[in-house]
Amino acid sequence: MDEAISSVPMNNLIQSGHTVLFRLLNGETRGLKVDHGSAVSLGRLGSFPANALIGQRYGLTHEIQGKELNILPPRVLQEVEDTDATNELITDGELVQPLTITEIEALKQSGAHAADIIKAQIEQHANYELKTEYSKEKYKRRKEAKYMKAFTTVEPTLHNVCEYWFKKDHNRIRDLRPDTLSQMLNLGSIRPGGRYLAVDDASGLVISAVLHRLGGEGRLISICDVDSPPAYPVMAQMNFAKDIIAPLGTLNWATAQPDYAPAAPQEESSSGEPRSDRHRQRLDRRKLANDALQQTRNELFSGEFDGLLVSTEYDAFEVVQTLSPYLAGSACIVVQHPYQQPLTELQMKMRAIPSYLGPSITESWSRRYQVLPGRTHPMMSTSGTGGFLLHAIKV
Amino acid sequence: MWSTARTVAAGDIVIIWQTRESVQPLLITPGKDFNSKFGFYPHSDLIGVPYGSKVGSRNGKGFIHLLRPTPELWTMALPHRTQILYIADISFITSWLDIKPGSKVIEAGTGSGSFSHSVARTVGARGHLWSYEFHEARANKARQEFSDHGLADIITLTHRNVCKDGFTVTNTVDSVFLDLPAPWDAVVHAKNAMRKDCTSRICCFSPCMEQVLRTVNALNEAGFTDIAMYEVLIRPHEVNEITIPKLDDIVTKLKQSEQKREEKRLRQIANAGKRKREGSSENAVENGENKKAKTDGANVTELHRTSELESTSTSAKGVGPQALQGADDSASVNGAKAVYEVRGHTSYLTFARLAPIADEA
Ligand SMILES: C[S@@+](CC[C@H](N)C(=O)[O-])C[C@H]1O[C@@H](n2cnc3c(N)ncnc32)[C@H](O)[C@@H]1O
Repeated sequence: MDEAISSVPMNNLIQSGHTVLFRLLNGETRGLKVDHGSAVSLGRLGSFPANALIGQRYGLTHEIQGKELNILPPRVLQEVEDTDATNELITDGELVQPLTITEIEALKQSGAHAADIIKAQIEQHANYELKTEYSKEKYKRRKEAKYMKAFTTVEPTLHNVCEYWFKKDHNRIRDLRPDTLSQMLNLGSIRPGGRYLAVDDASGLVISAVLHRLGGEGRLISICDVDSPPAYPVMAQMNFAKDIIAPLGTLNWATAQPDYAPAAPQEESSSGEPRSDRHRQRLDRRKLANDALQQTRNELFSGEFDGLLVSTEYDAFEVVQTLSPYLAGSACIVVQHPYQQPLTELQMKMRAIPSYLGPSITESWSRRYQVLPGRTHPMMSTSGTGGFLLHAIKV
Repeated sequence: MWSTARTVAAGDIVIIWQTRESVQPLLITPGKDFNSKFGFYPHSDLIGVPYGSKVGSRNGKGFIHLLRPTPELWTMALPHRTQILYIADISFITSWLDIKPGSKVIEAGTGSGSFSHSVARTVGARGHLWSYEFHEARANKARQEFSDHGLADIITLTHRNVCKDGFTVTNTVDSVFLDLPAPWDAVVHAKNAMRKDCTSRICCFSPCMEQVLRTVNALNEAGFTDIAMYEVLIRPHEVNEITIPKLDDIVTKLKQSEQKREEKRLRQIANAGKRKREGSSENAVENGENKKAKTDGANVTELHRTSELESTSTSAKGVGPQALQGADDSASVNGAKAVYEVRGHTSYLTFARLAPIADEA
């Protein structure tokens, strides 16, 4: 067993400190931190010790049984066949509880498993046989969602994390839907070993995406609008290992200016010898930070970056104009915006400048389908937008 | 993959961008020439030029842009041997399948290699792509192309019928992509090739709903979960400066035009009265007036007796929005709209997940 585990890449295993996405049977997804020795609480489903989950593979379905977790087999679609049955003879009122609340409570007290409760309910359901196979399936699923204390851990892929945030708070990620984000990465031609610039006012989604596609090789300089490197909320769910974050360097709009000078230059020179060990440590740390900043600045100014990815609240043209001098010939420029007008203006301005080749605006459209025999159709409601993209090539 | 050097060298494959509609690959071969309606360019002129440069033709007929190939440009420029995948589908599939540096991926069939180039770029040197094609000539062509593009270490191309004979690896790949007419026949083979120690994923790409349904059944029977089906399209927008004439202007012009017509009418009535009075000399005068009118072109239409309808349409043409374009008072805005005709369908993307097999405790 140990051998099997060691061959699994570490980020496929749930580790202490990970923020895990839990998908419940009703389709809801929750993100919770899993720390060694703590309890994980899933609301109505109850709680369980985090240690029961740590070391497990992502993507398994578990059922909470007291303080333990049982692994359930993967849930495939039940055989759903079109039958002659229709809902014609079923009155809506009769569709409800075949067992009374007290009967269910009694079953629960006796320690019956969720599956048994559901079975008992189905047996008692006077109309069950009259229902179509499809609504039987739906009925069973609804009951399962109600009584089974089960969840599936969602692998922290970029796609899953983006989808989670898009549902949870699309404004904070500037409406970046997974399809739009994926187009940014391809239009930006992000590859391991490449060197990129990014401006991310989308809670770290763009930065996370580029880091994901660098896989620890290459360089990413993020230009932000706060004075120390921001905490990117989206990055929490990605559970990146240290080596994946290694390519990231950060500047802000002030330190990214060629004429920037630190307000308090070199403390050492003015105060002479360090007064104490703690003082020396502080000076050393400060020098290290200053050196790193200086090095990142030099890197930016020496240019030749392969691409620029932007999703910004600031003036997109100013952002592009400020950073494009540091792009190599043939580099890709991709700008996302939840609104179309700013990109329209950006396109107009860029096409008047010969160093931007073929600036074009696109909008991604996507929809999901329900696929069931005889009942396949697009989802009745869908997201309206993932924002707009402008793409150009620096020449 | 392709050159990462700053400048173009002999033996490089470059992308020649003439217009957005005319993007083509070129293998830089000293001694050869590139000829198009945008001019004449000896390859030797292109060597040593930085990527991203605009190069003028020898014969002054135009210019071209010299670009570094990316899989996205390659998709726009590649020689079509089959139907190919485009960026909307490629990027969404890459995202759903979680293809990233180090990923091990299977695709079938190879076709024209549009998807292959994108995946090879994304998985990088630590990853691998096993690509299968049952059409021998196509397989050989693609193998040669991958090798020319420096991808021989990343892509293994096998000539075989995957529906009949399956794949060449077992319990190995993170994801499988099937672009075949009958993907359901390859689903069980795919499952054999996929790793079971962590989640692995599959995508089947089919243009028809009937294919989707058969695929979904096969995936379900093989024990795949989270079956999800999507469509993805990209709508390109065009941006134009649009002129917006002012209502005030048109009101003024219409009033002026009406005023003019009224003056003319009065003049004609006055003239008619005069002619009646002058009696016999009528013909001579009318001829003279006609001659005069012809020399003054702008008045010709207005002198002719025209029907009510004709006169309205004539005057509308004279003072309508077109006539106002460029007038000082008209405003302009930059507007974007979806282009008139767009791709309406490529294929349905059916995805599914193969959950890891749990460790026996
Ligand atoms: C539409 S093309 C693939 C295009 C490719 N995805 C691209 O982006 O360029 C489909 C290819 O699958 C091949 N093919 C069809 N059935 C096959 C099979 N059973 N085994 C292997 N290849 C097959 C065909 O010869 C054809 O070249």
